[in-house]
Amino acid sequence: MSIVAETGAAPLTRWAASNLRSIASIIVILGAWELAARLKFAPALFLPAMTTVIATLADLIRDGSLPLDLAVSLYRAFAGLALAMLIGVGLGIAMARSRWLRWLFDPLIALGFPSPKIAFIPIFILWFGIDSTSKILLVAFACVFQMVIATYHAASSVNRIVIWSALSLGSSRGRLMMRVILPACFPRIFAALRVAVPVALITTFTCEMVAGGGGMGATLMYAQRFFESPTVYAYIVAMLTVGLLLDSAILVLKEHFPAWRDEGSS
Amino acid sequence: MTTKIRICGISKTYLSDNGEVPALSLTNLDVNEGEFVSIVGPSGCGKSTLLYIVGGFIAAEGEVLVDGKSIAGPGIDRGVVFQEYALFPWLTVRRNILYGLENREYSPQQREQIADRLIGVIGLKGFEHRYPRELSGGMKQRVALARTLACDPAVLLLDEPFGALDAQTREVMQDELLRIWLETRKTVLMVTHDVNEAVYLSNRICVISARPGRIVEEFTVAVDRSIGREQVMLSEAFNKVRNEVWLSVRRQAIAAETQHGFAPA
Amino acid sequence: MDLRLLDRHGLSGTAIVAMRVLAALRILAPIILFLLLWQSLGSFHLVDTAFLPTPVLIGRALGDLLTGHEIRDNISVTLVRAFTGLGLAIVTGAWLGVGMARSPVFRSYVSPLVGATYSLPKTALVPLLILWFGIGNTMAIVAVYLSALLPVVVHTYHGVMATPPVLVWSAEALGTSRRKLLWQIFLPHALPDIFTGIRIALGFAFVVALSAEMIASTAGIGRLIFLYGENGSYDYMFAAVVSVVLVAFIADRALLGVGTWCLRWHASAVDVEQ
Repeated sequence: MSIVAETGAAPLTRWAASNLRSIASIIVILGAWELAARLKFAPALFLPAMTTVIATLADLIRDGSLPLDLAVSLYRAFAGLALAMLIGVGLGIAMARSRWLRWLFDPLIALGFPSPKIAFIPIFILWFGIDSTSKILLVAFACVFQMVIATYHAASSVNRIVIWSALSLGSSRGRLMMRVILPACFPRIFAALRVAVPVALITTFTCEMVAGGGGMGATLMYAQRFFESPTVYAYIVAMLTVGLLLDSAILVLKEHFPAWRDEGSS
Repeated sequence: MTTKIRICGISKTYLSDNGEVPALSLTNLDVNEGEFVSIVGPSGCGKSTLLYIVGGFIAAEGEVLVDGKSIAGPGIDRGVVFQEYALFPWLTVRRNILYGLENREYSPQQREQIADRLIGVIGLKGFEHRYPRELSGGMKQRVALARTLACDPAVLLLDEPFGALDAQTREVMQDELLRIWLETRKTVLMVTHDVNEAVYLSNRICVISARPGRIVEEFTVAVDRSIGREQVMLSEAFNKVRNEVWLSVRRQAIAAETQHGFAPA
Repeated sequence: MDLRLLDRHGLSGTAIVAMRVLAALRILAPIILFLLLWQSLGSFHLVDTAFLPTPVLIGRALGDLLTGHEIRDNISVTLVRAFTGLGLAIVTGAWLGVGMARSPVFRSYVSPLVGATYSLPKTALVPLLILWFGIGNTMAIVAVYLSALLPVVVHTYHGVMATPPVLVWSAEALGTSRRKLLWQIFLPHALPDIFTGIRIALGFAFVVALSAEMIASTAGIGRLIFLYGENGSYDYMFAAVVSVVLVAFIADRALLGVGTWCLRWHASAVDVEQ
């Protein structure tokens, strides 16, 4: 029969059923993990038991080493992101207003956008050492292209009817920028931000894994080098949790600031 | 006159957040072979839903019999032309028309011949290797019609086929459809909101009531179409039927609005 | 400016070539300016060329490397890893995406996994993969595969879900079987979205392949960049980075070109920038 089939269940039971399956899925996987580890399908080196990992995680949180590493990494990631936003949004709007700037930067952005910024780690280490500075700057470098492109597109597509209306109501150029163009760009900037946060995190962690200098990535590499698998797993679980929490936080922010929502997105 | 389509006691209820919404209620209709039947009614009365049920795309209570057999889903015996977005955008005009033929036992030469003939019939020679995005609305609907006709279905189901076109193109397409129907004498069931169109094209017009829809009135149209469009549309016979149908639909539309609490104009 | 339009208006061959050259120059000029600025930093001793080799020095090093084996061999290793992982991800990801779109039951089982993968920084899995697979091709390919999978799955899913019912119904009324519906209707309709997913996955593939090499590997351009850095051969190091940037750019453009040709039927056949 055709794909348009009506189910008979009421909405509530349908919601419960579908979420139940998702929860069941998670439980099955976690259970399989624990079982496989207990039954020694793989050496404990490769696959420590889930319970061991959770215990290690609890220990690391309690003795403060995980929170410290996390704080360092998050500081670097967000500092870099803030810098990328500052430069990116500024440049994007400037490019939308000035053909000359657009002509100047277009090829550079086109060249830079698809390139793996990770390749620049050794250069940044050469210039700025292995401390936070080099990592913050690399994160900014990695995220700025996205922000410029998103802001430029948003700013240049601000409906000119909106602009004309504002001008005919007596807005000065400055007010036009602050009260009309910038707010109109919020949804797309926000959307770019949502993509940029994981990029910032990955770049920070990778930088730390490659170059050391403290943070989650560095500790993760040490643990791997000394074959402390429970710690490796624990840190990965922590990174996953942080990633999930941050993404949820962004979605919550989206709910509370309707101005940041795109017309047509939920 | 044999009965081609028999619609028996069709009811359709949709589930929404506010509970059950009855779209159709115990609708009955017989369509004879070779007839051109139009279904008209106020917006949202369920006429398209009825067509989709006959097409086999939507499940419903009741029965639909085609040639005496109950339908079990979409079938190549019932060709459909939708209002828009139904052409396969990744296929050229020619490929779109050839599409259904691949599912039947024709030799490759036969398929090409059928496609050639139909491209000529719809007047799109020279456009066969264009993609749908390069065509105007009228051209797209011609291709949709040709694609359906290629499989030579016994029944044609048309869901507001010209609703998305501008007034002039619509008239041209109506004449095309009339010409093709007079040639092929297929059984046609058409849904339209345009009363003029219904009277111009059909033998019989059914008016559906406001929700929950059921057929409340039928009109037989006995108009001599061989005298040409201008004469037909200016004739007394045409306008008499047209006025009666229009009045009937308007009554249903008013009933629909009072249902929703709006005062009639 | 669409030069094909000029073609149709019958301009002479040389005029068209001249216009094409001018158009190319217009695009390249900022880059040339940038290179000149960069060169002058070194030439006028504003910056220590040990830390920032001039374009000329880098160009020379690049020439050296290209005529030799190092860059070619190492970049091929990286590319093989990236494209193998990407290829596997495209095939399995499209299958997963289609499955999730067509079966709500499958979707509810699989979606927590998909969601978790979204939030996990994929390079963080590298130490784990080193535990399992050691350092080498397998580890890198698995890492690339896991990173490239998600964009393909998500975009395929959206593309298939967005198929208009009238398209499916038309195909059914023309006698298409359920199995054929997948290949003849759902996948073609999802193709534009799948391409966008592949483009994003390509970017991820390069990043993760390089990261894996920089973190721990015996070969690959990522490791080569690091080696040059450790040896102090900074102009070679910069040269290797430049080659990575160029390769990534060319790969992205090539994919765009293939996509534009495959999707020439698409309503928005105007190229969406970046």
